Amino acid sequence: MDPGEHAGDVTVLLRDWTAGKPGALDELFDLVYPQLRRIAGALFRGERQENMLQPTGVVNELFLKLIRQRSLRFEDREHFYSLSARLMRRVLLDQVRHQSRKKRDGDLNIPLTEELAWIGSKPIEAIDLDRALAELETMDPRKCRMVELRFFLGFTADETAELLSLSKATVDRELRFVRGWLHERLAPDEV
Amino acid sequence: MTLDAENWEILQQLFELAEETPEGDRERVLAMRCADPALVQRALRIFRRANEDTAPPESPKENSPPARFGPYTLLRLVGSGGIGSVYLAERIMGGTPQRSALKVLSPHAAGPSFVERFHREQHILSSLDHLNITRMLDAGLSDSGEPYLVMEYVEGEHFDVFCDSRKLGVRERLQLFLQVCDAVAYAHRNLIVHLDLKPSNILVSDQGTVKLLDFGTSKLVQADSQLTTTVLATPAYASPEQLRNEPVTTSCDVYSLGAILFELLSGWHTTDSAAVVFERALSGREPEPLQNAVTAAAAEARGMSEIHLRQLLSGDLATITAKCMRALPSERYASVDALSDDIGRYLSNRAVLARPQTALYRISKFVSRNRGSMIATVVFTIALLTSIAYAGWRQEQALIAGQRALRMQTFMYSLFRLANSNFTGKPAATVSEFLKLGTKLLPQYIRDPADLRQAQMSLAESMFENGDLDGAQVVFAQTIASAKTARDLQSEAESEAFAGNIAYQQGQMEQGADLTAHALELSRRPGMPAAIKVRAAMYYAVNRDNAGFRTDENVKLLEYAAKEAQDEHLPPHEAADALYNLASDLELRGLIDKSLPLYQQALDIYNRDPSELCDQSQVYGDFAYAYQMKDDLKSALPLFQRSYDGYLACSGPDSRGALVAGDYLAGALIKMGRAPEALKLLEPELAPWRKIAGSSPDLAEVLFFLTEAYVDTGRFSEGEKTARELISVQEGKIAATDRRIGASHMMLARALAGENRIREALPHSEIADKILANGAVSPGAKAMSSEAHQLLIDLQSKDPNRFMVNKIVK
Repeated sequence: MDPGEHAGDVTVLLRDWTAGKPGALDELFDLVYPQLRRIAGALFRGERQENMLQPTGVVNELFLKLIRQRSLRFEDREHFYSLSARLMRRVLLDQVRHQSRKKRDGDLNIPLTEELAWIGSKPIEAIDLDRALAELETMDPRKCRMVELRFFLGFTADETAELLSLSKATVDRELRFVRGWLHERLAPDEV
Repeated sequence: MTLDAENWEILQQLFELAEETPEGDRERVLAMRCADPALVQRALRIFRRANEDTAPPESPKENSPPARFGPYTLLRLVGSGGIGSVYLAERIMGGTPQRSALKVLSPHAAGPSFVERFHREQHILSSLDHLNITRMLDAGLSDSGEPYLVMEYVEGEHFDVFCDSRKLGVRERLQLFLQVCDAVAYAHRNLIVHLDLKPSNILVSDQGTVKLLDFGTSKLVQADSQLTTTVLATPAYASPEQLRNEPVTTSCDVYSLGAILFELLSGWHTTDSAAVVFERALSGREPEPLQNAVTAAAAEARGMSEIHLRQLLSGDLATITAKCMRALPSERYASVDALSDDIGRYLSNRAVLARPQTALYRISKFVSRNRGSMIATVVFTIALLTSIAYAGWRQEQALIAGQRALRMQTFMYSLFRLANSNFTGKPAATVSEFLKLGTKLLPQYIRDPADLRQAQMSLAESMFENGDLDGAQVVFAQTIASAKTARDLQSEAESEAFAGNIAYQQGQMEQGADLTAHALELSRRPGMPAAIKVRAAMYYAVNRDNAGFRTDENVKLLEYAAKEAQDEHLPPHEAADALYNLASDLELRGLIDKSLPLYQQALDIYNRDPSELCDQSQVYGDFAYAYQMKDDLKSALPLFQRSYDGYLACSGPDSRGALVAGDYLAGALIKMGRAPEALKLLEPELAPWRKIAGSSPDLAEVLFFLTEAYVDTGRFSEGEKTARELISVQEGKIAATDRRIGASHMMLARALAGENRIREALPHSEIADKILANGAVSPGAKAMSSEAHQLLIDLQSKDPNRFMVNKIVK
């Protein structure tokens, strides 16, 4: 689906989504996901390179596209980036599932930021990570959002704080905690 | 984990407490807060894990490259980025090893658009010759067909590292920076916008010589690609308009130079993520004043105190960087030269100027009015306009004549090479539009009549190369007239040669003959450049041969042209063209064995200059056809395939070149008994062919092969349909006795016979037999003649009323 045909829809749906309207998120996914996939195509073929197609670059490109198509307003960027982080999570997971079907134990470079490099070098870990995040989502949605923005989109702590209307100190502190929790949750310390 | 969910809040509190407590006390303090030892232990574990170091990300494994490329042995990988990898390579020359940098396309970057960009870099580099730009030494194709570039190997450090490690002061940094400006300004004069200037693309050798690298990373961007400038440029140094994906100009490079200078002087380096950089680009915010970005560490690296550095940067230097980095291109320095001048003024303690906007301002105005067209075209147009404007501006500066002539030459040479659909991979129509625009604008900027004539001729030749015959002819008429008035024999000869060639192609045989003959005569006058002599001889001879006057003089002229082009070291493309013309002329005369080595020679030249892909593909096609004429299909088929693949890459699947090459490839496949493969090629070609050819005889070839493929695969009724259309597009438009009409009737007869409609098939078979019996020279034609006769005999034997039918026909 081409968002161009639905000028304004993304903006409206973003509002609906943030207002908690049921079904809005799924509709947004359907609307934006194919575009994101296309932009991210090279990324997921393993063609990651310096200066090219970092997740942030992919999402920024999508953002700019939507703005140019006038289906998004600049003021909606907080919601947009939150949505994109979720999308990126989904895209990555899809990719991982696809890859793990193809070659069971092969190494796979999943483009997370360096701070999460200890997770996700194998498909099975990426799927575990997704499960852990789903669990986090039910316990503490805000922290889940934080992880998505920070680790899946590569936003800095400052940007994450701005997007979530929090102080940087809060973001830093909560992320330290959630990072420890995730690590413990995914690979329990034997000690 | 339910345990965590129930105790989420307390876990966090314990975690925060753990962070605030010294290690020795930690467990004790946490136990005081929480009575559940299991929870305390869990919080402590989370705390420990949160502070574990993260492993560095695994670097992607490099595919081990083949150890050799042509005569070069690869020693080690020195870097990869953009679209290629760069290796340190070695070549043994006269017993001594010579080191160079060899660049190959990354394996993932295969695909026409990347190959095209690679070729573009090659083109660009080969036209640049400047002390501060890495020189291209060689280029070629590996045995497996991968293109590679060989460049001088520069040992040195990145610009910023060089300066910091030597603690260079502000003046020394500026002096090095001027070398960068000089290289970029030179590139701009050659119509090249770098678009990815950054410290890591600038090396400084131990001797302090600056070398600008990497002209292939983000040049002219494919309009249809997902990889727009947005992702290709390095955000920290890219201009806002680049990040916004808007048309780019030389002004982008001015911005990037400003960003580099900003970092070089203040030591400030962005830690912003791409997201912030993008947002800044969207909002039009400009960077803070230079002096405010200074840090203590930066001051130390420049061998001075922080306060001193701040003072030093706060005046003119802050003004200069700010002017480079304006959000609006029109407010930046109008050219890199203007930037250099201001830095020069600063260094000699003169006041820097804020120059009024000149040519570039006009261009950006122009561009903003014409924003609708394809990005590539716009980029392209800007390149042209910038340089015309530049030339005009320079003219206003009253440069001395010699310099101007040199600049003109550079400009025209670049333009000629750039404005060529071979080179851009864009549809010729778009390029032609651009050229037309050029011819309209030229007189405004170039006032000297001789210069103007040169410029017009180059544009017209480009128009011709891109298939805009009418447009080219109009311009040539102007240049012939103006050359005659000015008694400029060279321009007259060159213009007439082209105009005559075009007239022939437009079917105006007499006019073509007159013009080419006059051009040939003029070209024999003393003092004519070799290029004109070659061109005049070729156009005269080829066209006369094609028009049916196959004299020995023509062959001699073509032999002369081929030899002269090589002896006089004309550009490779022209030498290859002369060889090709001689080869195809010999082939036309049935001297196929003589033509084969000449085709090979032409191809050898093109292989050294793989960017002339369309022309190279044409030679491959004719080369293949020569083998097919000899009935050597095994040699012909891979050559047809290369011709077809080449056209696909250089002009796209719907271009005439690709369609024709596809037809011939299919024809060879059919002859080799591989009709099903041929059908797969041909069926999708019909629609684009109709678009190009309408119902003209041009459509005949594809219809003929389609019919043959249908008949060979037993799809007779479809074959009948295409055969009838085939005859209808030919009838009345080519002579009734033309062998092509005979072949078409034979096809219809075969289709009808397949449908068991023998009586309907017979008359067509008879027409075919009658036409094809005459004038068969080549083995292929003879084979077709006997095939037609065999078909007639078969049909007659199957027809119960054969005697009656014969009677009626007679």
